[in-house]
Amino acid sequence: MKSEVPSPAGPLGRNQHGQGGISATGLARSFGRVHAVENIDFRAAPGEVTALIGPNGSGKTTLLLMLASLLRPDSGSITVAGMDPVANSSGVRAVLGWMPDTLGVWESLTGREILTTMAALYGMDKKSAAQRAAELLKLVSLGDLADTPARVFSRGQAQRLSLARALINDPSVLLLDEPASGLDPGARVQLRTMVRQLADSGKTVVISSHVLAELDEMADAAVFISKGRTVRSQTLAEAGEQTRGYTIGTLDITALRETLQARGIEASYVQDFDSARGSAKTRLATEAEAAALLAALVAAGVPVTAFAPSSGLLEETYLSLEEGAS
Amino acid sequence: MSAPVMQHPSSTPTLGYAAGIGTIFTLEIRQRVRSSGWYIMLGIWFVVIAAVVGLAALSVGVDGFGAGQMMFELVVAFVLLFGMLIAPALSSNSITGDRANGTLAILQNTLLTPWQLLIGKWLAAWVASLGFLVVTIPLIAWAMTYGDVYLPGVPVLVGMLALELAIVCAIGVGVSALANKTLFAVLISYLLVALLGLGTLIGFGLSMKLVQVEVKASEQFWSEQNLNGDSSVAWDDNAYSCGTALYPQTIFATERNTWLLAANPFVIVADAAPRPLPKPGDDSFTTVGPMGAISQGVRLSQAGQLASTPCINGIKNTEVKPEEATPLWPLGLGLQLLLAGSLLVAGRRKLHTPAGKMASGTRIA
Ligand SMILES: Nc1ncnc2c1ncn2[C@@H]1O[C@H](COP(=O)(O)OP(=O)(O)OP(=O)(O)O)[C@@H](O)[C@H]1O
Ligand SMILES: [Mg+2]
Repeated sequence: MKSEVPSPAGPLGRNQHGQGGISATGLARSFGRVHAVENIDFRAAPGEVTALIGPNGSGKTTLLLMLASLLRPDSGSITVAGMDPVANSSGVRAVLGWMPDTLGVWESLTGREILTTMAALYGMDKKSAAQRAAELLKLVSLGDLADTPARVFSRGQAQRLSLARALINDPSVLLLDEPASGLDPGARVQLRTMVRQLADSGKTVVISSHVLAELDEMADAAVFISKGRTVRSQTLAEAGEQTRGYTIGTLDITALRETLQARGIEASYVQDFDSARGSAKTRLATEAEAAALLAALVAAGVPVTAFAPSSGLLEETYLSLEEGAS
Repeated sequence: MSAPVMQHPSSTPTLGYAAGIGTIFTLEIRQRVRSSGWYIMLGIWFVVIAAVVGLAALSVGVDGFGAGQMMFELVVAFVLLFGMLIAPALSSNSITGDRANGTLAILQNTLLTPWQLLIGKWLAAWVASLGFLVVTIPLIAWAMTYGDVYLPGVPVLVGMLALELAIVCAIGVGVSALANKTLFAVLISYLLVALLGLGTLIGFGLSMKLVQVEVKASEQFWSEQNLNGDSSVAWDDNAYSCGTALYPQTIFATERNTWLLAANPFVIVADAAPRPLPKPGDDSFTTVGPMGAISQGVRLSQAGQLASTPCINGIKNTEVKPEEATPLWPLGLGLQLLLAGSLLVAGRRKLHTPAGKMASGTRIA
């Protein structure tokens, strides 16, 4: 994937009608006796990347299907780019890009044919469809494989094609269901850059993923769901303000312990068997507090080798929610 | 968020009705022409039917009578038979296949409507099954060279054949839209086609018991010149009279149950085709070939066995004017269209998104 995306008139940023975003309230949907979604409130603003986070089976895919106008909610209301997906599904579909978590490809068709077919299904004429397909294939680094049958694509390649497919109609609302699974590290970085650029060009981007560290880097807000319910909605700025766990590595655990205890900081310590090395885990309320502590440790002559948050921002919230639940 | 509703610029994309159908049609056909199995099947098919027609040409051609008609009708009958066997397979995985592949939801998420999807898939399956008719064109041309093919029947037979294939494909696509598993869809479409092809025959056979009637028959008396010495007679409607000694005879009033055969594809195709009028004074079999035989058989059955019992109640049956046989095929075609149509309508409802109730154990994606 090319990380440099021509903007705003390039492949990612043509449509600027991003106003509206997504808002859903009180959503519920069950399949027979399974309550996949019980009560979800969800909001995603244009120009932002909204992460959708939750354990397996918590209802993320079901929520995205409802937002994508494929599944009718049992109750609750949805607005996507100002339209109701149940009442005006074609209106929503025209401005929506959906990347499912299952990879659907027509195996005997080439990547280019798949993209031009999809373009045709959005009412694009042949010429602009071909042009758009070529642009997107280049964007997701499938230029070389453009005319190979999709049957031979690797999982990651199919995933990239699926992303290109979701972008074919230059959607103003983009729903990505675990887009990074199967991608190599390089492609993940490119995906992040691309998602960021899409959001920056005014699109509403919703992304579900289990790789929270990655979401830290691209998301502006996060919605946590569990067992079909929204358990937390927060912006990343808010996540940054919460108490976080820090891990401090040192060459001299005794010195570290003394300094921390002198400052009245509670921590748990782990020491190496055969040396004075070790580490301490503690919780700090703010980043300012962390900076102050580090400065103090260094000033006290404690040989600090590492000083970092134990987990990512979103992971912190995720874990605290799990603790709260159990 | 208090953004005003619907503020999109004029460039909201639209998808023309025919364009959507055309795109799906192309998508399907592209996939089919790329599978080598398809060509192998066509090849085998051509060899088999060429052999059958060739043999027919050899055996019928000996006395030089009706070889062309025989060959042509054999082609029609075989294409119909093979179409019944192939078309359900061609059409019944068209939507379940996409469902299993995860591509159906992708199509549904575009501007495509369910009807466009169904019609596109149906047209593609139909055109693919017409391929089996198209490869037999050289054989039909060969039959034509004999010069005895009854020409008015040709377009009707071929047209009805194509129509029957279209109906079977519609059944297959409809079932495919309704079913969740390809295997199940294939099975159900085959059962439905078997219901039409064989079920009608079985129903007809079983109903014989119900149309058994007892009539009073009597002997025929023949004039001397018609008697052949042995117990056979040279048949002539005008040369016998009926005895007055009545005896009971059990016959089948098939005029009452022949309609059960109406929805049989072979009956529809054969019955719709015009037949050469029998030459006056010659009421020998005017038909050669399977389709002619079916047509004639159905007409006889429609007339009922009573019509072929020479003496009823002491009166010659030629004096009782037989009812004009009404063509059976409109009824059959109507029934088939009803079946195919309702399957398609039900399939359309199943394809509706946003999906309401879903069959248990299925996911959209
Ligand atoms: N069509 C369906 N029929 C029955 N149950 C379903 C259906 N779709 C989803 N479910 C159930 O609903 C729940 C939520 O499923 P969903 O796919 O939304 O989870 P998810 O959050 O996307 O999980 P994952 O992280 O594994 O992708 C699960 O318990 C699942 O078994
Ligand atoms: Mg999921």
